Amino acid sequence: MAQAQPVQSQAQQRVQRARMADQTAHIVFFICAILIVAVIIGVFVFVGIQGFRLFGEDPHARNFLTSTNWDPDGANGTTSYGTLGFILGSVITTLIAIVVVTPLAFGMALFMTEITPKWLEGILRPLLEIFTGMPSVVIGFLALVILVPFISKVVGPLTPNPATAGVGWGTATLVLIIMILPTVISISIDAVRAVPDSVREASLALGSTRWQMMRNAIIPAATTGLATAVVFGIARAIGEALAVSMVLKGTSLPTNVFTPLAFFQPNVNLTQPIVLYFSDASGTTRDAYFMLGFLLLVISFLFVCVSRYLASRSVYK
Amino acid sequence: MSTQQSVSQITSHDEDKRRLALLERVVQRIHNNNRVAMTVLWTLSGIVTILFVSIVLLLLIQGIPYLIRPDFYSANGEGSIGSQLFNTFYILVLSEIILVPISLAAAIYLVEYARPGRFVTFVHFSAETLAGVPSLVLGLFGFLAFGSRLGLGFGTSRLTGALTLLCFNFPLALRLFEDALTAVPRDFREGGLALGSTKWRMVRTVVLPSALPGIVTAIILSSGRIIGEAAALIFTMGTTNPANVFTLNPFISSDNLTIRIWYVQTLGSGVVPPDAANAVSAGAAALLIVILLLINFASRGVARFIQRRITAA
Repeated sequence: MAQAQPVQSQAQQRVQRARMADQTAHIVFFICAILIVAVIIGVFVFVGIQGFRLFGEDPHARNFLTSTNWDPDGANGTTSYGTLGFILGSVITTLIAIVVVTPLAFGMALFMTEITPKWLEGILRPLLEIFTGMPSVVIGFLALVILVPFISKVVGPLTPNPATAGVGWGTATLVLIIMILPTVISISIDAVRAVPDSVREASLALGSTRWQMMRNAIIPAATTGLATAVVFGIARAIGEALAVSMVLKGTSLPTNVFTPLAFFQPNVNLTQPIVLYFSDASGTTRDAYFMLGFLLLVISFLFVCVSRYLASRSVYK
Repeated sequence: MSTQQSVSQITSHDEDKRRLALLERVVQRIHNNNRVAMTVLWTLSGIVTILFVSIVLLLLIQGIPYLIRPDFYSANGEGSIGSQLFNTFYILVLSEIILVPISLAAAIYLVEYARPGRFVTFVHFSAETLAGVPSLVLGLFGFLAFGSRLGLGFGTSRLTGALTLLCFNFPLALRLFEDALTAVPRDFREGGLALGSTKWRMVRTVVLPSALPGIVTAIILSSGRIIGEAAALIFTMGTTNPANVFTLNPFISSDNLTIRIWYVQTLGSGVVPPDAANAVSAGAAALLIVILLLINFASRGVARFIQRRITAA
């Protein structure tokens, strides 16, 4: 009896310690899970508050979404914070890029899921994975040394200032195509792969050819997934910064913005001014760049919501 | 009578023939469409593949002349990348040290502890939103929250950069870790719990070891992203180096390979001579490609190796 007492209390102690450890672990894990929520809220709060200060500091900032004149330092007299030119740049480069990428990506996704022989898939899959993680500066650099001299030689003489020709929306669009193509392809592949084989078999059993099966059975079944891929591509293209800043090289819209030549002259988009001028800016000017960042944040959030809505409507996951 | 019959027979025979011909034409058209579509798909994929392969080859061809020169890796001199290479691996290790425990813990909570419901959906929504934030904006956030005195106040430093990379990689790491944990079969867990162990002990001794291949793959994949990232770092970690970068001090500012490529081609294009700038960019780009290729192969090999070790033991 005297011996059993300490044995029992020892066992109790052990159980208690194990329970304590379990509870501590539970709390620590919970905090880590909460952290990701805290981070995203923090991103909105920090960047948003710092950005909206701009409107209190400088009444001229009211033209933020209505003017094309971006001059936060007031180099031409009064300060001006018009972002329409930047928005136009992002919209045009992104739209063209996504129009080119979509058919390529869907074709490639169908090819890799429905047609590819096994040996070829073994080559394509790693290639795609490497390109999904390709650093954007590498693509930017390659465009700078290969595309820019080429474009400059071909269309340079037509532009008002041949010395700076070659960079601009055209090169930026090509860079964006390379940057988002792998992402859109791999999400499209996931979407097509999520369609169950029974759909394929049903279609083939009705006597369809392979193309009829793809067009009339697989693509309709994978629509929401494919749309998600496109939405992701657009979001990535708008947020893409460094590679694009390397090949845009402009400070404002060119004068002949509505002619095709505008594509081959130094130009602007939403991310490039932040990348190039944020570090040296201070005070109100810096807050203006934070506001630009907040604009990007809101745009990307809208795209996340769209893709989430699409995902909630998809039948196959 | 008989003539009438024969006439009707002839007409019906003609009708059949016409129908047959029509059917044949339809089939022909469908098969032609099929053939055309297949050709288009093969060509499209061929173009994309050739594009990808030629980009990799171009980068390697341009960079390898620099990569084979030993003085390219020296620490000083404008045309060399010794310090940047060190910084790249330093920031890789530092941010993985911060990233892995936190995101693994969050994944364990979501998979093992949390009841599926509103909370889990909310966390997933947050993760998705964070994954969609452009890395440039995360750089601005890191500058404010970790760098400036409004937040933690670490200034422009490696630690600020690593914390920003935590925000950048958290969603991806969380998803990959969650996948690794959910892949562990349910009866393993039930076996552990049936032996009377607490949940934490069960996770530690049963779930984590069996999820190890997935966890290692996730770490390797996230390290590829850290090596290639630059936009989130230019405002948080800096674009230039102090005199001596070969210290483990996390409070100094420094650059890395990707930042260096960007810097010499944009902001520093007046400071760094063009020859050195192109040497640095071409060499560093090729080096990054080689590192990423190695990481990709490693992520396959290591996972398979661990799997074999575990199942054999």
